[in-house]
Amino acid sequence: MRDKRTSVKDALFEPPGPKTQKIIWAVTALSLAALAALIVVVVRRFYETGQLDSKYWSIFTKWTTWKFLGKGLLGTLEAAVVAGIVTFAVGFILMVLRISGSIIASAVSTALIEFTRGVPTLLFIYFFFLVVPKFGVKLPAFWKICLPVSISACGVVAEVLRSGVNAVPKGQKEAAQSLGMMPHSVFLKVVFPQAFRFVVPALISELVIVVKDTTFAYVVNFPDLMQNAKVLISNYDALLSVYLVVAVIYIVINWLLNRASVAAAHRTGK
Amino acid sequence: MGIKELLSQYGDQYISALFTTWKLTFFAFAIAFVIGVIVTVMRISPVKPLRIFAEFYVQIFRNIPGASLLMVLVYALPYLDVLLSYFTCVLIAASLIPAAFCSEYLMAGINTIGTGQIEAARSLGLTFMQIIRRVVIPQALRSSVLPLTNLLVATMLTTALASQVPMNPRDLTGLVAHINTHAVGGVTAFLISALMYCATAVVIGQIGNRIDRKVRILR
Repeated sequence: MRDKRTSVKDALFEPPGPKTQKIIWAVTALSLAALAALIVVVVRRFYETGQLDSKYWSIFTKWTTWKFLGKGLLGTLEAAVVAGIVTFAVGFILMVLRISGSIIASAVSTALIEFTRGVPTLLFIYFFFLVVPKFGVKLPAFWKICLPVSISACGVVAEVLRSGVNAVPKGQKEAAQSLGMMPHSVFLKVVFPQAFRFVVPALISELVIVVKDTTFAYVVNFPDLMQNAKVLISNYDALLSVYLVVAVIYIVINWLLNRASVAAAHRTGK
Repeated sequence: MGIKELLSQYGDQYISALFTTWKLTFFAFAIAFVIGVIVTVMRISPVKPLRIFAEFYVQIFRNIPGASLLMVLVYALPYLDVLLSYFTCVLIAASLIPAAFCSEYLMAGINTIGTGQIEAARSLGLTFMQIIRRVVIPQALRSSVLPLTNLLVATMLTTALASQVPMNPRDLTGLVAHINTHAVGGVTAFLISALMYCATAVVIGQIGNRIDRKVRILR
C-alpha cells in the first residue's frame, strides 16, 4: 500500500529546480496577494455597512447569550444522538431484512431503502409537521424532528451496514457454522461485530448528516441551536453576527465528528 | 382530498415544481462540479496558500448545514448590501456544499491512481499540466463516476432548501408544504412529490451505473 510520504498529491512534483522554484514563489506571492485582497474586500464590506459595530458583537461577551446558545446546542446534540440511535436500529433491521434471503422481505426492504435515500429530509419533516397531526397523532416537537431525520438517514445506514457485512471474509461465517452455531448467533456474534468495526468511520460520517438535518428543527419549533439563534436575533437585532457565529459552531461540531471518523478509520486500519 | 381532485387542482403546479427542482439540481450540480475541479486542482498544486485556502473551503462547506448557509445567504447578506434573489440564494447554497464533496471524491479518485504512473509520466518528460490533464484527471473522473452520481442525487435533495424561502414557481418540497397548509392534501400530496424525487433519483442512479460499467478501470 501507499505510505504517507508518497501520496499522489506529493508524487506529482519532484523537488523543483531553480526555475520552477521561482515560478512557484511568484504564484505563491500572487495568490497570497489575491487572498489578502479578498479578505480586505470582505472586511471593508463589513465595515462600510456598519456590521463591525460593537452593538452587533457585544452580545457575545454576555454570559446569558452563550448559556442560551448552549441550551440550543444541547437540544441539537440530544436530537442528533436520539435520531442517530433510532437510525441505527431501523437501518439494522432494514439491512437484516435485505440480506435475509427471503425474496419478499428483501424486496420490501430494498424499496424502503431506495425510497428513504431518494426523498429529501425536509419532505419527511413537513410530513410529520403537517400531515401526522391530522391523523390525531400528537407528537412532541422533539420527535417531530427526530423521526423524519432518522427515516431519511436509515436507508443509507442500512446500505453502509450491508457493505460491512459483505466485507467480512466468508471463512468467518463457515468456521462459525462448522462449530455448530445457530444461524442467528453466527450473524450476531461472529459476522456483525466484525462488520460493525469496518463501518464505524462511515457511521460517524452519517452522524454528521444527522446533525446537519436537525438544523431544520425550527420548522417544528423544537429549540435547537438554530431555533435559539432565531430567538436571539429577534431579541437583540443582531442578525448577521448571530447567524455567522452559529454557522461556525455547526462547522466546528461537524469537523470534530469528521476528525473522529478519520481517526476511527486509522484505528481499524483501513 | 383524493388523488384525482389533487391532480386536477394542482397537477400543473406539480409539473412546474418538478421542473424547478430539476433546473435547480442541474445548475447546482454543474456549478458544484466546476468549483469542485478548481478546488481540487488548488489542493494538489504546489502553491501552499492555495492548498490551505482550498482545504479551508472544503472543511467549511462539507461541514456547514444547508439551512445555516441558506439563512446567511438570504437574511444576513442583505445587511452587507448584497442582495440576491431567492432563486440565486438557493442555487448558491445547493452548489457550494456539493462542490466541497465533489472535491473530496475527486481527491479520492486521484489517490487511487498510484504514484508509479505519475513517476512514469514524468520520466517521459510530461509537464505538470500535461500530467494533470492527460493522466490524472481522466482516471480520477473515471473512478469517481459512482460517487459523482450519488452527489447528483444529494444535490437534488439539497435543493429542497428552496422550500425554506418564498419562491415562484415552488420546488417539489415547497409545493407540498404549500398545499398542506392551504388545503388538506394529506398523504397523497406527499407521495406524489416523494415519488417524483425517487423516480429522478432512480433514473440518475441507473444512468450512473451504466456509465460506470463502461468507463470503470478494472485494477
